[in-house]
Amino acid sequence: MEPSEGLMEVSVIGGYLGAGKTTLVNHILRQASERVAVMVNDFGEINIDQALIDSRSENTISLTNGCICCSLVDGFVSALESVMSFRPKPTRLVIEASGVADPGAVAAYGHGPGLALDAVVVVTDAVRLCEQVADPLIGQTVASQIDAADVIVLNKIDLADNLIAAKTELARLNPDALLAYASHAEVNLDLLFGREIVRKSDPTSQVGTFESRSHESTQPIPRAALEALVENLPPEIQRVKGIVRLAEAPHVAMVFQLVGRNWELRALADRKNSPDGNRLVVIGPKGSIPMQWDDALSSGN
Amino acid sequence: MGDASVKIFTAKRIITMNPALPFAEAIAVRGDRILGVGTVEDLAQWGDYELSEQFKDHILMPGFVEAHTHVLAGAVWEFPYVGFYDRADPAGRTWLGCQTIASVVDRLAECERDLSDPDQTLVAWGLDPIFLTGERLVAKHLDQISTTRPIFVFHASGHLATVNSEMMRRSGIDRHTPTPGVAKDVDGEPNGELQEPAAMSLAQDGFAAIGVAMMSPNAKWNYAREARNCGVTTIADLGTTRLTMEGQLEAWRQATDDPNYPARVVVAVGHSDSGSESKDSNPMVSLAVRLRDEEETAKLRFGIVKLVLDGSIQGFTARISWPHYVKPPPGHPGNGLWLIPPEQLADIVSSYHEAGLTVHCHCNGDEAAQVFIDAVETALQRHPRWDHRHTVQHCQLTTTAQYKQMAALGMNANIFSNHIFHWGDQHASTTVGEERAAGMDACATAEREGVKFSVHSDAPITPMGHLHTAWCAVNRLTASGRVLGPEERISVAKALEACTLDAAHQLRLDHDIGSLEAGKLADFAVLEEDPFEVSPEELKDIPVWGTVVGGTSHVAGSK
Ligand SMILES: [Zn+2]
Ligand SMILES: [Zn+2]
Repeated sequence: MEPSEGLMEVSVIGGYLGAGKTTLVNHILRQASERVAVMVNDFGEINIDQALIDSRSENTISLTNGCICCSLVDGFVSALESVMSFRPKPTRLVIEASGVADPGAVAAYGHGPGLALDAVVVVTDAVRLCEQVADPLIGQTVASQIDAADVIVLNKIDLADNLIAAKTELARLNPDALLAYASHAEVNLDLLFGREIVRKSDPTSQVGTFESRSHESTQPIPRAALEALVENLPPEIQRVKGIVRLAEAPHVAMVFQLVGRNWELRALADRKNSPDGNRLVVIGPKGSIPMQWDDALSSGN
Repeated sequence: MGDASVKIFTAKRIITMNPALPFAEAIAVRGDRILGVGTVEDLAQWGDYELSEQFKDHILMPGFVEAHTHVLAGAVWEFPYVGFYDRADPAGRTWLGCQTIASVVDRLAECERDLSDPDQTLVAWGLDPIFLTGERLVAKHLDQISTTRPIFVFHASGHLATVNSEMMRRSGIDRHTPTPGVAKDVDGEPNGELQEPAAMSLAQDGFAAIGVAMMSPNAKWNYAREARNCGVTTIADLGTTRLTMEGQLEAWRQATDDPNYPARVVVAVGHSDSGSESKDSNPMVSLAVRLRDEEETAKLRFGIVKLVLDGSIQGFTARISWPHYVKPPPGHPGNGLWLIPPEQLADIVSSYHEAGLTVHCHCNGDEAAQVFIDAVETALQRHPRWDHRHTVQHCQLTTTAQYKQMAALGMNANIFSNHIFHWGDQHASTTVGEERAAGMDACATAEREGVKFSVHSDAPITPMGHLHTAWCAVNRLTASGRVLGPEERISVAKALEACTLDAAHQLRLDHDIGSLEAGKLADFAVLEEDPFEVSPEELKDIPVWGTVVGGTSHVAGSK
């Protein structure tokens, strides 16, 4: 049983103009082992690799009106509906937000019927980041985008002279997000996608190597035990995801998500197909996950 | 009016807005055009005529030109109105304001009884909870109307909706719904209020209804009827219609080709209305050029492109320069939002500019206006072009220095004067503060610096009505009755020019409309009183008989 079966997972890709959002979307299309639909929301900046578009066009939709904020008159909701009608049904929807959009506002749509928000990924330009944040016109836009991120991709590290400065700036703006380094937006999809975690991770990625471990059990877990689990995780581990039943409300299947240092529990939207029992997966750099990482869960029972 | 016969209208007075002949007593029409203006004797030189004394007790003016509205103004009337103030619908029926929660519920219950299909969602609009005293309207009030039919009530702000329990049940909205904006009571149950589009879109049947209505032929007709009722003969739909959508151009053609359709419409291409994506070529340029060169008719015009650069001042999302906002809400980041990356604007403007199109860019804040003005300057350096008439739309906080630069570059302004009345008090107390509020929507500065300008309602954001909009520019009275920035008041004559000839100029139509003179289209506003005779405070109260569009008369308030 996969987490959130029947739901389409939503990943929002944000970031300022030129940071590499479209490159990341193309990388995702190339690397993903699941069926991905892409929605693009931009003002003529869009430039998806033509070869990819050609082979995947049936699953790519571009929003016909730039501003998601003015959804009353734009095509966002109807675009969502067409994505839902794709057959076979995609398991993941990647929304590329516009270069000035607040990806957090776009992510609010990720809880709609049949959808489950996975994470907000914000791509930043390692070369221009500090200059952009200090810019009187766009500084606040860039900072707000970074603030909304669950995962920050620090892109173009191969071109940057002063990576430390960029890293310090990101740590100041959003210390809780998971930080992934990349050039050409080539980032291990395991870091971006929860669902991918339960599959074999792709060893060809340039961004180091990762390992994962899973936890499966049947008894509902007390909330305090989950909190203890999070507390005891080594700091290098920044991704845990799965479905659990809480001892406090065992009749509702809950999605558990940890990205960076933020974690959340929410009810699984598709209650008809909700699995029994608990299944959690943790991912971290090779050698970082202790064998007893899930002890807190068992001892709580 | 295809025949060659001449009709001469006499009137109590004809205000021509033609400085060479400002007033007259008669006007001759042949076909859809003005044959001449003067005395009946002067006009008799054109040969046989039919004399019409239909308007002998009325004032004739050039039909008003509203250069910034949205067809949404017609779409909202597909649904019952539950706002606080009395409001007339396009057919002339006045909907009394609902001033208590009980009256909102009564109005909706009445409408509910009229729906035959028990499954049809009841959608209403215009709710403004700020004015309703006591408790807030929530789902339990709407449940008094029906527990089996979904109900969806749009607020006047456009940012919120309130729904009943059946709507929530059908939409799967419950205590576990994680979407931000689904308001919940102290027990964690949703109370029926949905804030912002992501939450509203969960109640899809209601939320989608207005968007669907906007595409309908009836919305296009009601839009023009609303114009007719306030003396407007040309309306610009600025970037609302998705012209890339199949059937929308044809729908406009069909409506405006009907001789009874009571307005000319300028449909501006929305830049964000991008139908395809390519870095090197902007597909909207070729669309806008093709529409202008091949699809124009007498009553359907193109050639304008609409851009949106920032948000709104009252929503604290406009980009304004230091010292920014006076009292922004908690958690506000300090300044507003960009809807287009500022460094991209010069390229975008250049692409339309080089194709000979006129760009109208929404800039509420002065920082946004500066980015647009600079983009126009860059486009002009790259591609010198005279008489482009690129226009700053809203232009609310534009400074004297910016007006000087606009004048030097040949730019126009369309100033959101209605803001003074509707939000002026809030601008002084909360958004930009006393000094800048007194200087906002600065018509007198635009006039002094030599920038051609119009004024607008942005209907349905504020109700369409050029006499009211002109009144705002002339008197600068706020809703609370204070004069906000007396130095920026303009004369009645200047305000009427802004509502006619200079509005036509920024739509590139002043060769055809905007003044009454031989050769121009026979478009009149027919007024019951003379705007130069009433006191400036009474300008907004002048009753409108209706309009004449291309020689055909249209009575206000008719079907
Ligand atoms: Zn606007
Ligand atoms: Zn507007």
